[in-house]
Amino acid sequence: MFGRLREALNRASEHIARGIIDTLAYREIKPEDLQPLLDDILLDLVESDVALEAAEAIVAGVREELVGSRIRRGEPVERVVREALRKALLALLDPGPRPDLAGEARARCGGRPLVILFLGVNGTGKTTTIAKVAYMLRKAGVTPVIAAADTFRAGAQEQLAAHAEKIGVPIVRGRYGADPASVAYDAIKHAQSRGFCAVLVDTAGRMHVDSNLVEELRKIVRVSNPDYKILVVDSLTGNDAVEQARLFNEAVGVDGVIVTKVDADPKGGTLVSVAHAIRKPILYLGTGQGYEDLEPFDPQKTVNRLLE
Amino acid sequence: MMEGVRRAVAKFLKGGGVYEKAVDAFLRDLQRELIKADVNVKLVLSVTRSIRERALKEEPPPGVTRRDWMIKIVYEELVKLFGGEQEPQVEPPKTPWVILLVGVQGSGKTTTAGKLAYYYVRRGYKVGLVSSDTHRPGAYEQLKRLAEEAGAMFYGEKEGDPADIARRGLEELLQRGAEVVIVDTAGRHGHGEEAKLLEEMRAIASKVRPDEVALVIDASIGQKAMSLAERFHKSTPIGSIIITKMDGTARGGGALTAAAVTGARIKFIGTGETLSELEPFAPRRFVARILGMGDL
Repeated sequence: MFGRLREALNRASEHIARGIIDTLAYREIKPEDLQPLLDDILLDLVESDVALEAAEAIVAGVREELVGSRIRRGEPVERVVREALRKALLALLDPGPRPDLAGEARARCGGRPLVILFLGVNGTGKTTTIAKVAYMLRKAGVTPVIAAADTFRAGAQEQLAAHAEKIGVPIVRGRYGADPASVAYDAIKHAQSRGFCAVLVDTAGRMHVDSNLVEELRKIVRVSNPDYKILVVDSLTGNDAVEQARLFNEAVGVDGVIVTKVDADPKGGTLVSVAHAIRKPILYLGTGQGYEDLEPFDPQKTVNRLLE
Repeated sequence: MMEGVRRAVAKFLKGGGVYEKAVDAFLRDLQRELIKADVNVKLVLSVTRSIRERALKEEPPPGVTRRDWMIKIVYEELVKLFGGEQEPQVEPPKTPWVILLVGVQGSGKTTTAGKLAYYYVRRGYKVGLVSSDTHRPGAYEQLKRLAEEAGAMFYGEKEGDPADIARRGLEELLQRGAEVVIVDTAGRHGHGEEAKLLEEMRAIASKVRPDEVALVIDASIGQKAMSLAERFHKSTPIGSIIITKMDGTARGGGALTAAAVTGARIKFIGTGETLSELEPFAPRRFVARILGMGDL
């Protein structure tokens, strides 16, 4: 009988003792511990070209997670904050599995080809990126057909034709001023009848706020019914990356992103802005002017570079 | 553009409360808006610091409220940030006048070359365009077509040494009576292997001896604008800056503050894809528009 009482008392005192040890060993993170650190982090992110809106959202998430949580005494708050930040960035940049374009194209051989449409504002590198993707697919054994549906910009047709010839992939061209949707349609028909497994559709660069050109893009999408709509974003872009991603996503839907000119030394903030705006996977990074300069995106590496 | 600044100004002018507190609240809003516009973070902090100092120290002249005076200070400091009171000089001070265009890939150099040609043709100059970009496929055809559309003469070669091509182009176009010659170059950003291209750019500059080197910058460029401008400035000192794609949602702050590093003037802004969409840049008008003060 006493045995049970003693046991109960023991348990209670053990509990109290652990409580005391806990308050001695751990402490709660207070908002005032965090604020100066978070202010610094915000500026660091912004200086790495993370759009202000995205940087604020990330910092707010870290604050929410950490305020009121307990850390071991003697453990620097800074380390805890950096760990939380790393986790938040990684979750943002790695939202799920990325498609295997070559594998999917191979599975389509004999049927309707895999259609990939590239879109973006002027000068981000769509045409060069298409050449790189074509080169990559060809190396993987699935030669694609390129549809030169930029029938607007002077030199665009010649540019893509020169690439196609160098890489050794077929191209379907359009006359300047011709309907881009019909060029895409012809290319898909061509691929189907000749047994090609993939079609890469180039489109003219357009400002995301130009309603006529966005309407034209919708028409190309309706006619070509792409499996993937890939947004091409220049890594030198600052806060506008958010607007570009959001407006294209609203207009036609974006399935994945390729970020170009990463070799121009930005820390990768643009990738964070885009991921924050549309929560779509980043597929590849463009790292130079050569055909080989297309790297599969590695979230871990980007996060490391951002937190360096 | 920068509607947020306009709202902050309105709030500051109408709002009551303690003056010092209102100034601080306004400067916080201004900082946010400038950062959203991609103005370099260090410049943002320094410009708001000097505004704050002046706002708390200076006494407004009789008849002017402290708040109105504060907005005048903001206006002056922003005009300074964006290039000063003076309108840029777009008329060539002498002929022949040789302009070398440089910039990152995709910033809009070739289109800008066409627009500049069109701009000067309409003002009565005989203009020639030179294509020296042997790297990007289609660059030659693109500039050739733009030259035809703009009513300018054209010279280009698809292969060979870019500096020699530029030199031959310049000589031939001058012989054909060109008064303004615009040399288009290949895009480069001057980092990593691209350092070689900066070398090439320097070689072109030394062969054509341009009267003006213009850096062409995309309005959407972010915090990297300053270091890029620096890199370009080191290899061919920049005389002027042209900001492109101001018709999108980008606010151009990165490009605008690139001028601060190089000490160059922003001369033109591009506002669309067609040849006529190029206008001289006036800092005062630009800042007045940002602040919602109408054209001053």
